[in-house]
Formats: sequence, structure tokens, C-alpha cells
Amino acid sequence: MAKISSARLEAYRYLLPGLLFLLVVFLLPLAYAVGITFFRWSLLRPDLGIRFQGLKNYLTVLSDPFTYETLGRTLIFVAGAVLLEMVLGTAISLLLNRGFRGNALVQSVLLVPFMMAPIVVGFTWRFLLNNNFGPLPVLFMRLGLTGLMDPPLLANQHLVLLVLIIVDIWQFTPFVVLVLLAGLKALPAEPYEAAVVDGAGAWQRFRLITLPLLRPAVLVAVVIRTLTALRIFDTVMIMTGGGPGSSSEVLSFYGYRLAFQSYEMGLAGTVGVLTMGLALLFTLFYIKRVGVDT
Amino acid sequence: MKGSRTRRFVLSVLALALLLPASGVFAGGAQEPPTPELPQQVRLVSERGTHTEAWKTRMEGFEAETEIDLEITQFPYANYFDTLMMNFTGGQVDFDVPYISLLWYPAMAKAGYIQSLNDLLDMDPGLKEDMPGLASAALDGEVYIIPYMNELGGMVYRTDLFNDPAEKAAFKTKYGYELAPPKTLEQYRDAAEFFHRPPDLYGVTLMGKRSIFLATHFMNRLWARGGSLLDEDMKPAFANEIGAAALEGMADMFQFANPAALNYDFQDANTEFKQGKSAMAELWTTAMFHASDPASSQVVGKVSFVGFPKPEADLNEKRPRLFISWGFAVTANAQNKQAALDWIHYVIEPDNLAAAAPLGTIPPRLSAMNDPALLEKLPWLAAFQEALGTCIPTPIVPLIPEGMTIVNQFIAPTVSEFLTGNTTAEAALSDAAEKTYNLLEENGYY
Repeated sequence: MAKISSARLEAYRYLLPGLLFLLVVFLLPLAYAVGITFFRWSLLRPDLGIRFQGLKNYLTVLSDPFTYETLGRTLIFVAGAVLLEMVLGTAISLLLNRGFRGNALVQSVLLVPFMMAPIVVGFTWRFLLNNNFGPLPVLFMRLGLTGLMDPPLLANQHLVLLVLIIVDIWQFTPFVVLVLLAGLKALPAEPYEAAVVDGAGAWQRFRLITLPLLRPAVLVAVVIRTLTALRIFDTVMIMTGGGPGSSSEVLSFYGYRLAFQSYEMGLAGTVGVLTMGLALLFTLFYIKRVGVDT
Repeated sequence: MKGSRTRRFVLSVLALALLLPASGVFAGGAQEPPTPELPQQVRLVSERGTHTEAWKTRMEGFEAETEIDLEITQFPYANYFDTLMMNFTGGQVDFDVPYISLLWYPAMAKAGYIQSLNDLLDMDPGLKEDMPGLASAALDGEVYIIPYMNELGGMVYRTDLFNDPAEKAAFKTKYGYELAPPKTLEQYRDAAEFFHRPPDLYGVTLMGKRSIFLATHFMNRLWARGGSLLDEDMKPAFANEIGAAALEGMADMFQFANPAALNYDFQDANTEFKQGKSAMAELWTTAMFHASDPASSQVVGKVSFVGFPKPEADLNEKRPRLFISWGFAVTANAQNKQAALDWIHYVIEPDNLAAAAPLGTIPPRLSAMNDPALLEKLPWLAAFQEALGTCIPTPIVPLIPEGMTIVNQFIAPTVSEFLTGNTTAEAALSDAAEKTYNLLEENGYY
């Protein structure tokens, strides 16, 4: 008994530095971020002091219709981007899993968008879509799609969110491909052999064997993509500034405006906490829905 | 064995405990007071821009003359203000003289981050009369920023097009008066319509991206019509007929712009004009430097500047015009205030201003602007002086700490929302006015 206790104690002692690190780098800033949401703190008016105001920031944010409009846009973006990335990513990973000549080269090229910094992606697509010298408007013109140029896509309030979704798909589908491909490579061959013997077709094998076995990888990809899609900021900042009007303003950009244009740190923190709450809800839902069945 | 494991463990925890403070994790808080033994040094901080590059050329001369060391740190413009504010609020102020926008000083002064520079007025008695921008640089009688550069909102325009005899004849036939740089809003619209020949030439370049740049288009027209953002009681004064007319007039001009202008910021607009794709661009005076740069401009020698026009009925009224200025402040705990003032006094001497100006800045002193050699190098400076003399130079945001919030958070999004056609001018302006009122009320203005 004494031996087990001392071994456990020893283990805790070795864990302590890591736990201290987590506390300092993760938990304390998180507590700070949540803590400031109960205060009114204007960086532009430090003479007014940092005033405790309980849940007033939450009431302000939650009673503002703009919050719900922004939340709606964010959910549309996340749902659209993640769903399409999963579908496209699954198709590409299945293709790459077959193995063909030049497979390694294709995989390397596919990864390029994922390796780019989001801010570079924003500038790249802004250039691609530039009506004056971008290649895409030229393509639209040649295809007779002049309606996509007037107004330009990034100034078209009805299509701008779709453009941002497409940019996100371009950048992050390779990540989904990576995760699913790794999952596919780890799948056992025996169920497939048995299915072939039983006369199952390709679609049946995909639906009844591949998809269920790939669930853990799908869960990882969906959770990570949802969390990162919720945080989208760089491409919105560079490509649209949240406009035209507010048609591309998402939660993270709203929080940024509150923090660095209004300098209202309490309100900005509140939007951040709400975003975090949303991310937590999504993660729990996915894990319960997909993880438990697995 | 056990003893040595415990010793190793204790040593690693100790190492971690020492590393964390050393890495600055628990850093922050009060600054060390200056020591008398510090060398004569002034620590400058600035953004990376043309006027900074201009005054940097004066640093060597100052150091040689005074034996005061100058040290400069520069940040990209995009996050320069955030960096400054984070340093101030975090107590990490390791600079003496920040080069800042006129719009920023009220917040910094109110918070006590920068100090009064009234001593400089004693060092340079003629400064007040010689520097019109100084009128906007004071709060409650205390000057907090000494302008180094200034410019006005208006239009840069193509002199080759406006002076072309064939264009002039055609314009007169169509509109019944001589083609000239617009002095009235009506002339501005006519010229934009006349020169609008897409896709080779657009009548005017505008900045439609949701940002403070878009807000300048609204503000130009609001002021030109005699309106203002806030009244004398600091209450919103723009949600009225004048504001609606300004908003509608602005939206109307976009029909003579490139459709892509709906997503333009300053850089995009500048680029379009420099490429010779438009007859005019509604920008501000320093766009002249970009348009005159042979390395990047297709219209070198073919451009000039005119101040933003007014309604024809109000031509003789002196109205506000967008006034942009950057200058030097001194931090509240500068290590050597006199050395800082000496630097500022040196760099704003008329000769130094005139010498640095061709590198990308417009002197804030009338005596420097009148320098014959400078006028020869920058002939459009005469047009700028004329525009300055016929207006009330007015910063885009009210000179209160909340000014940037009002324009960035309330006005700019509202103007953008109106431009998309989602709302009426009255509804858009009422919304922005309500938010402005609530903010100022919460901050104790009423």
C-alpha cells in the first residue's frame, strides 16, 4: 500500500510542472478573460476606471439584435464550410487512398493552401477576385457570368458569405483530407474482403464499412474544423472588413471591433465567452452524437 | 536512488520557478523612474510611412548638433495604435516621443499617457500663427501634440484631362460652363459623369469598403453642407436632412466609379488613380506623392489637388474640410522631457520641414510651405494652401476619446449599410445617432 501511495505521489510530483504550465498559460488567462466580462473597462477612458457591473455586458450583448444576426451568419458560415469540406475531403481522401501514379506529388500540392497563413490566403483571394486585374473576373466574363462582377463578389452582400466559405474550403479541405486519409490507411482489410465475398458493391462497402469505421477520424476532423471555423477572422478582415454593410461580419470579427475599434474590453470579452460557449456546445454535441456510438 | 530522484525533481521545479519571472510572465506594472545618470537620449516610436521616412532624414543633423542620441522603433501602421495603447495600459512605456495621429491624442491625454507641450510654445513664440493645425492640438488650453505633417480631404485630379482643349470644348457643349477643377458639388458630379467612360476611364475613384475611409466620403459631404457630427452640447447632430442629403449624395457618386470601388480601401483607390484609370479620386493631399512617384505611377506630372467642394449656394461660406495631421507627443514619464522638446523644436523648424517635405510630407507651417524651392518641387502645394485658407480644418473624428469609436463603430458601418441598399438614409443615421448618444451618455457627457 505504502509503495502504491509513494509511486502515485511521485507521479504527481512529475506532473506538477506541466500542470503549473497549463495553469499559467491556459487556465489563468481563461479566468481573466471570463472575469473582465463582469466589468466595464474602456481602454479609451481609463479615467472612468474599471467598474464592476455584474451581468450587464451579457445583457447588453444578448439583447442586441445585431448579436443574433452575427450569430446567424457565423452558424451559416460554419455549417456551410465544415459540411462541404467534409464531403470534398472524404471524396479526395478516398481517391488518394486508391493509390495512383503521382499520388505523393498530388498530396504535396494539395497541402499548399493549408500551409499558407490565413492572412496570405486573404490577400491572395482578394487579388484573384479583383475586378481590375484578378484572373477570376476575366474567367467570369469569358463564361458570360458578368453578373458576378457588378457588384464585385466581395461587395455583393448576397454572395460575400459564400465567397468566404469557398475560400475556407480551399484552405482547409487539405486538413480534412490529411485526417481522413490517415484514418483510411488504418482501416483493416478483412471486412472489405468479406464484403466482396458476400457480393457487396462499392457504395455498400463505403456506406456500411468505410463510414462507420472512419467515425473516429471524422469526429476529429469535424470537431477541429468547427472550432477553427468559429474563430475565422483573418480572411474576413483582409477581404471584406465585415462588409458590405454587415453581411460578412461574424462573431470573432464583432469581438475584434468591440476590442480594437471601441476599446470596450468587457463587451469584447463577453462576445469571446459566448463564442467559447458555442464551441463547447458543438464539441459536446459531436462527441455525444458521434463519439458514443463509436 | 529515491533521494537523487527527489533532488532532481526539486531542481526542475526551482528552474521553472526561476524561468517564469525571467521570461516576463509576471511582468507588468509601474515603470522605473528615470535616473539622472541616463545619457542624453530620446526614444522615438512611429509607424512605417512616408512622413516618418521624411523626418527620419533630420535625425542625423539633430544628433550632430545637440549630441542627444535618437533611437527609433517603427511598427506597421495597421496595428500601430493598438501597440501604443497596449503599451500604455500595460505600463510598458519604453519610449519618450511617439509620432501619432491627431485623432489619437485626446484619448492618450485624457488618460494621462502624454504630457502638455506648452513649454514648446515658449521656445517657438511664432508657432501658433505659423501652424494652423495647432488649433486642433489642444485640450483645455494644453497642447498635447505638435503637428509635423498635415493634409486636407479633397480630390486629386488629372490635369491632362481637365486641360485638354477637346475635353474642355465637349464639356462646355454638354454642361454650358468651362471645365475646371470642381469648386462646387454640382461641378464635381458633372465632371465625374463627363469623364465616366468605363472600362477604360472612370469618372471618380471612391473607397467603398466598410472602414473609416468610406466614412470620409460621408463626412466630406456633411461638412460641405454645413452639418456636423456633434453639436455644442456633444449631442449627435447628423441624423437630419443635411445628413441624409450627404449620404444620398455620396451614394449617387458611386455610379461614376468602378463597380469594384465598393470594396476599395485607400490603397486600392490610390492604385486605381495612379494607374490612370480615373479622372479624379476623392482622397487626401498626400495621394499627390503617390501619384507623382515615377516608380509606381502612370500619371506623373499630370495631377493636381483641389479641396473638397461645397454646394453652389454656399460657395462663399467657410466650411469644415477633412483635416488629417500627424505629429509628435511626449509621454508622461519621458526620461528627458527637455531633450524630447529639443528634438521636436528642431524637426519642425521651417528649414527642416521644407527640406524633408519632398520625401513625402506636407509641412504644417505656413512659412515652410511658402519656401520657394519647395513650391518649385511640389507645385501642387499652392493648391493645397488655397484649400487650407478657404476652410476650417476639421479632424474626421471629434477630438474626444470616444471620437474614433463614433466614426469607426457607428458611422462607417451605417454608411456601408446604406450603400448596400438595406436601409434608408434616415433609418441608418438615426441608428448611428442613437448609439453615439448612448455611448456619450454612459461616459458622462450629459
